[in-house]
Amino acid sequence: MSDDTTPKDTQHSLHALKKIEIIVRGEKEPFVKDLLDESTVSGYTIHHNVTGRGEHGFHESRLLFNDRDGLVMFFAVGQQEAIQTIVDGLTPLFEKSSGVMFVSDTQVVRLDKFLQED
Amino acid sequence: MPIDRSVVRARIENAAEYVGSLWPLRTFNATNPLLGFEDQPFHRAVQKAGQLFGGRGYPGPQVFRQAWEDGEIDADVLTRCLAEHGITERPEVLLDRMEADAPGHDTVPTDHPLDRVLTKWLAAFLDQGQAAWPMPNREDGFYAAWRTVAPYDGAIPGVDRPSDLPDTVAEAFEAVLESYPEARWEPIFVHHLTALPGWTGFVKWRSRRADTAWQAAHPITLAEYLAVRLTLADRMGAAIAPDRTEELPTNGTDQPVLPRIWLRAWEESYRTRLLDDLRQAPSAAPDADRPAGQLVFCIDTRSEVIRRHIEQQGAYQTHGYAGFFGVPMEHQPYGTEECVKSCPPIVDPKHRVVERPAEQHQAQADRYDWWAQLGRAGTTLLKTLKKNVAAVFGFVEESGGAFGAAMAARTLAPSGLSRLAQSLEERLPSPDAFCEPALDPPPAADAEVENSLPVGLSDEAKVLYAEAAFRLMGWTDTFAPIVVFTGHGSETPNNPYKASLDCGACAGNPGGPNARVLATICNENAVRDALRERGIDIPDDTVFLAGQHNTTTDEIILFVDDDDPPVAPEALDRLRRDLQSAQADAATERVRTLNTAVDEGRPAAAVHETERRAADWAETRPEWGLAGNAAFIVGPRALTRGLDLDGRCFLHSYDWATDEDGTALENIMTGPLVVGEWINTQYYFSTVDNAAYGSGSKVTHNVVGKLGVVQGNGGDLMSGLPLQSLKADDEHVYHRPLRLTALVQAPTDRIEAILDRHAPLAQLFDHEWMHLTVMDPARDDAFVHYQSGGGWHPHPSPDAPTPTAPVSAGGDPEAMDRTPTP
Repeated sequence: MSDDTTPKDTQHSLHALKKIEIIVRGEKEPFVKDLLDESTVSGYTIHHNVTGRGEHGFHESRLLFNDRDGLVMFFAVGQQEAIQTIVDGLTPLFEKSSGVMFVSDTQVVRLDKFLQED
Repeated sequence: MPIDRSVVRARIENAAEYVGSLWPLRTFNATNPLLGFEDQPFHRAVQKAGQLFGGRGYPGPQVFRQAWEDGEIDADVLTRCLAEHGITERPEVLLDRMEADAPGHDTVPTDHPLDRVLTKWLAAFLDQGQAAWPMPNREDGFYAAWRTVAPYDGAIPGVDRPSDLPDTVAEAFEAVLESYPEARWEPIFVHHLTALPGWTGFVKWRSRRADTAWQAAHPITLAEYLAVRLTLADRMGAAIAPDRTEELPTNGTDQPVLPRIWLRAWEESYRTRLLDDLRQAPSAAPDADRPAGQLVFCIDTRSEVIRRHIEQQGAYQTHGYAGFFGVPMEHQPYGTEECVKSCPPIVDPKHRVVERPAEQHQAQADRYDWWAQLGRAGTTLLKTLKKNVAAVFGFVEESGGAFGAAMAARTLAPSGLSRLAQSLEERLPSPDAFCEPALDPPPAADAEVENSLPVGLSDEAKVLYAEAAFRLMGWTDTFAPIVVFTGHGSETPNNPYKASLDCGACAGNPGGPNARVLATICNENAVRDALRERGIDIPDDTVFLAGQHNTTTDEIILFVDDDDPPVAPEALDRLRRDLQSAQADAATERVRTLNTAVDEGRPAAAVHETERRAADWAETRPEWGLAGNAAFIVGPRALTRGLDLDGRCFLHSYDWATDEDGTALENIMTGPLVVGEWINTQYYFSTVDNAAYGSGSKVTHNVVGKLGVVQGNGGDLMSGLPLQSLKADDEHVYHRPLRLTALVQAPTDRIEAILDRHAPLAQLFDHEWMHLTVMDPARDDAFVHYQSGGGWHPHPSPDAPTPTAPVSAGGDPEAMDRTPTP
């Protein structure tokens, strides 16, 4: 493979965005997916079969015959406003359902990948 | 001020927790109607649900009186349970008091004009092919479609044109909710969702998990339902917000103490008798010889009866495994485009299995195709003649006599007509005879991933499912020359609730296709080689067959190519003869429970009676289904072999000695046991309050939209089971409403470790949605009972005074209690 990149091409600048990580029970996966689909984040990642201990005890997810009780983890990156909309939709949910969300600062190189086109 | 759509959505999601999903009739799934309440203790949950749905949470006094008079509640147990609450009066006095305090009847559904209008439009919109003239504009979604036609509905005041109504769902919510603070939205949504829990349960099912063609074509969500309902309520002067006193109930103190105690005493009485039986079971000596055949049945309670009778025929062993045989799949029958889910409601399908004609049977398939095409053309013609305005009058005149004769024949001679139809069918090839499940994935070029599901199974998946089956059953050696995986299905015409009698582990479908898949997998040499490397050595001469148990008649058919049988014909003949004998014995036993009398002196009388029930279009009780279910036993068949468990126990084979790390038990307890709890709670609640949680009498059922039933000519969709599946007559229940007792033979510390890793499972026991008893091989198979919140109590031995000291998992009486979940 030839290397014809110039020094200018390899000078990447980082752009500040917000990242949200969400862990919910498998049965809430459709709700969170709908929420993310309708938000302005450009995409998200889902991890199934997440294992861990929380307020209500341990959740072991690697089960052959139960897709309902496992935990699902989402993460998405977007601008402050987009993440805030997701937070607004999840805050009432967590009043009744178990689950957690974490919002943190993050940086990306290819900003255009994380901005949804209107 | 515009409202935040994501907040409304979340509040609806929370409110919808109180409504259980309702599957359509075709794939009727047993589920706990109070599933959304399982995070609360049982007694509190039924109280809250009672306030929302008006349903009773405990059996009524007549049911307790029946159990008491039938001797199903031990006087000693009841006296002790009552004394623990300081109650010393005689049981008869308490029964009289409960009867005096009880409301006269089950819940009576309300009939509010708002409900009448809304159910009319829901039935029109959600119709799945029953209506000749469907509602227009359904592709735009429920709210938009309703908004278009609402001006033509005289029952909705003040709407002359669509523009009199809010343009969108969001605007509809804004118009109604703007005068209420966000804190009130959720109680408002709960109030309106629980007003019609049948319809909202169906909308919840269809909009959440079901990627059905109907939902794709005619989308509906609970938000759209609420937008229409709130708009209607506003127009019709109905209350938007519930009275404060009707809002989410708080933790009240007026719990029904007496029914709660009586139920516990009844459950404990049943459990004690079951454990006594197990103690006295004839000790099954290990079979010295290789059995002639081994049959694997679904864990379904109906399997217990037929398994017992097969074992009595000779050298047969039987096992119990979840009836989808561990293959999470969608099944596409031959000649249809439609796929049906064929795995439990808590499992998502991972594969699509298509039935294809076997090469050597292509001629039969061609012949079948020709007849099927002719049949479809005839059906289409008939429908056209019946529905075409111009043709219908002449058609009725000409064909009325023929239809009348057919109706008379079906009514007066159902068995004869059925035999005639059967003999005609036997002349035609059946897909079961010429098809086989196509398991190998298609070539890459054709490997379409339909609905995200891969077609066929990979080599790894085949080995996984085969190994899982044998590991979970604890069956790693001694394979007979013939092993039959036996699914089950019911046979009942003109019965919207047929799916409730089919296999619950196969999403309300017959389990034969799954049995065929696992048998095909286990016959593959590559799979056997892989299993051998994993320590499961299946002899070369073992052949796996698939079959299906007809739970209405107890007939077992084998899916075998009789032109080229994979086992010796004489062995096959012997197996079939023994299965027929077992059928006769099992049918005789079951017919005695069906409120009918047959001449038991005639050898085939019972079988003929079950066959009549399977053919009679007016029969409201073709069989009892899973009525009577009360326990779920996880252990080797040796524990229960020789016992008559009266068809009341789910039986899952398991051997603690071959499962050192507890993985098999973990998968049984988090999978099949949870499905058993769903089935049990559905039977329980359908029995204790049939109007609120069941579906009333079949006699007055009307099928609506091919998706559900209503009583009479409208109202809410009925959920749960019909009366004829639960009650012997108007006065007496056949299903005794007891919460499930799970009995597991395994070391207690292994079970503790599983409960520690699975909070949702532990919650079911902690909150008393079911009970757990362990037969601990580390303590000479002593029984110990799980205590709500953690800890164990020993079961008293028959000749010892009742002990009260708890025991620890490790057998150390000083230590106790599983560390409670924080």
